[in-house]
Amino acid sequence: MKQVAAEVISVEQILPGLKRPAARSIAGSWLIRLSCPEIAREARPGQFVMVRCGGELTLPRPFSIHQISGDGIALFFAVWEDGRGTNWLRQKKTGEAVEIFGPLGNGFSIQPSSKNLLLVAGGTGVAPLRFLGQEALGKGCSVTLLLGAATAAQLYPERLLPSLIKLVTATVDGTAGRKGMVTELMPDFAAQADQVFACGPMPMYRDMAAQKRKLRLIGKPVQISLEMRMGCGLGVCYGCTVKTRNGLKQVCKDGPVFELDDILWEELPKS
Amino acid sequence: MNLSVELAPKHKPGLRLANPVMTAAGTFGYGTEYSHLFDIQRLGAIVCKGTTLEPREGNPQPRLVETASGLLNSIGLQNIGVRALLEEKAPVWAGWRVPVIVNIAGEKVEDYAQLAHELDGAAGISGLEVNISCPNVKAGGAEFGTSPEPAARVTAAVKAATSLPIIVKLTPNTGEIVKVALAVAQAGADAIALINTVRGMAIDIATRRPLLGNKTGGLSGPAIKPIALAMVYEVASAVDVPVIGCGGITSGRDAIEFIMAGASAVQVGTASFQNPRAPLDVLEGIEEFMKKEEIKDIAEIIGAARR
Repeated sequence: MKQVAAEVISVEQILPGLKRPAARSIAGSWLIRLSCPEIAREARPGQFVMVRCGGELTLPRPFSIHQISGDGIALFFAVWEDGRGTNWLRQKKTGEAVEIFGPLGNGFSIQPSSKNLLLVAGGTGVAPLRFLGQEALGKGCSVTLLLGAATAAQLYPERLLPSLIKLVTATVDGTAGRKGMVTELMPDFAAQADQVFACGPMPMYRDMAAQKRKLRLIGKPVQISLEMRMGCGLGVCYGCTVKTRNGLKQVCKDGPVFELDDILWEELPKS
Repeated sequence: MNLSVELAPKHKPGLRLANPVMTAAGTFGYGTEYSHLFDIQRLGAIVCKGTTLEPREGNPQPRLVETASGLLNSIGLQNIGVRALLEEKAPVWAGWRVPVIVNIAGEKVEDYAQLAHELDGAAGISGLEVNISCPNVKAGGAEFGTSPEPAARVTAAVKAATSLPIIVKLTPNTGEIVKVALAVAQAGADAIALINTVRGMAIDIATRRPLLGNKTGGLSGPAIKPIALAMVYEVASAVDVPVIGCGGITSGRDAIEFIMAGASAVQVGTASFQNPRAPLDVLEGIEEFMKKEEIKDIAEIIGAARR
């Protein structure tokens, strides 16, 4: 784990914005590449970094590591229209420095016996799963990614995924792939999977936990990456505590990856 | 250049720090969490997470809200409890050069005395910081710190139960902070730290509910620095024990302000979240200032703004 001033290699907008009358609007999704050999060397899929988003903000922001390439890491993130940290980060220019520390958290774990992996991404949830998919392919696993989004334009582009990943999509409005939530694709794929890895919004996890039979997840090892508001990223401030079947856990230090069954979903605040 | 400070001149053997930069309780864990990020042994002292007799679960989520130049928290003293601290943390500290001070909190006067008793003589512990200022717990905490008489009672009970030097950490959420400071100094505090967080609130206008699970919380960060500075200035003018300044310190400049207001040492808290190296940056900033101003001993500028 290191704290470094990482040089910005590139910043690219990947997805357009999305106006949502009833909810917070999204300005778009961006991919930033940062040079930080010390962090790139250590990082495992599912881990994250803390980014100091300018001098005005009191707290750093956690970002999943999306990809490792050579000395660099890539972060993929959605920017809310009123998101102060993400709006700061997306405006960084090549050659500028960004203060980050990491890698943090536990990360996903692929069991040695697993051959077929099912990855389930709800929207920006693809962020840590791309890194996991890449790593799994390297271990000789076959990888299927179920990718969901509100509409076709919000789907993470296939050209940015390793070509060996089998991609299946769903959109809420039916403009691409199957019409509906990404979880609705699960019954067709979960049975063949040795392990399931999911990342998405809280309602997606609640859905998975509540409908395990329907989604064919009974007896299946399912790892999820939990997002919580964090203070320190190191397990010292106790800001991101969640209740689990194994007692209180810090999402930043003990997570962000947990077994789906370990989280006491009814104890978590709605949202 | 001499940066060392004595925080417990009336105590034997005292509490001498190699430099005046400490960490603030609740923002630096047990120190171990930061040992991979920088050389924590260079700090003046580490104050660990607030510790109670029994482990505590803390308050419901959400526990953190970022505000303008500040942070509202309602953690509620979640901690591992004193026994786990003695078994798992103190033995690690015993091998460290940097002194570690244990922050203790209780619901009753007897809890504080019991904690002081259990920590007395443990290897790896150089002092106690008595937390009578946590705004996020129902019983105890800040209710002892808001008026002189209960504050003095807790201080005297801790003093009687330990041979360690004791710091008492005060809350700003009182109109009587100078009287509280005088009372705890009279009751045996070797040093006084201030301020803990300022009580505050934030509301989600979409849901029309308070944003914190505990409704109210404690405000920290640069937003409270001027409040802390004025209180340190007042208290340092009134008491004859060393004062430790805390509240929104993020740079050497901030620390120098507190030292000039009368603080013998400073605690860096919320700044560590955004920048884990903040305590070390503060120390290096102080050193730089002293070099530039040709100050040979930090003592030369303690209380300079009051002269």
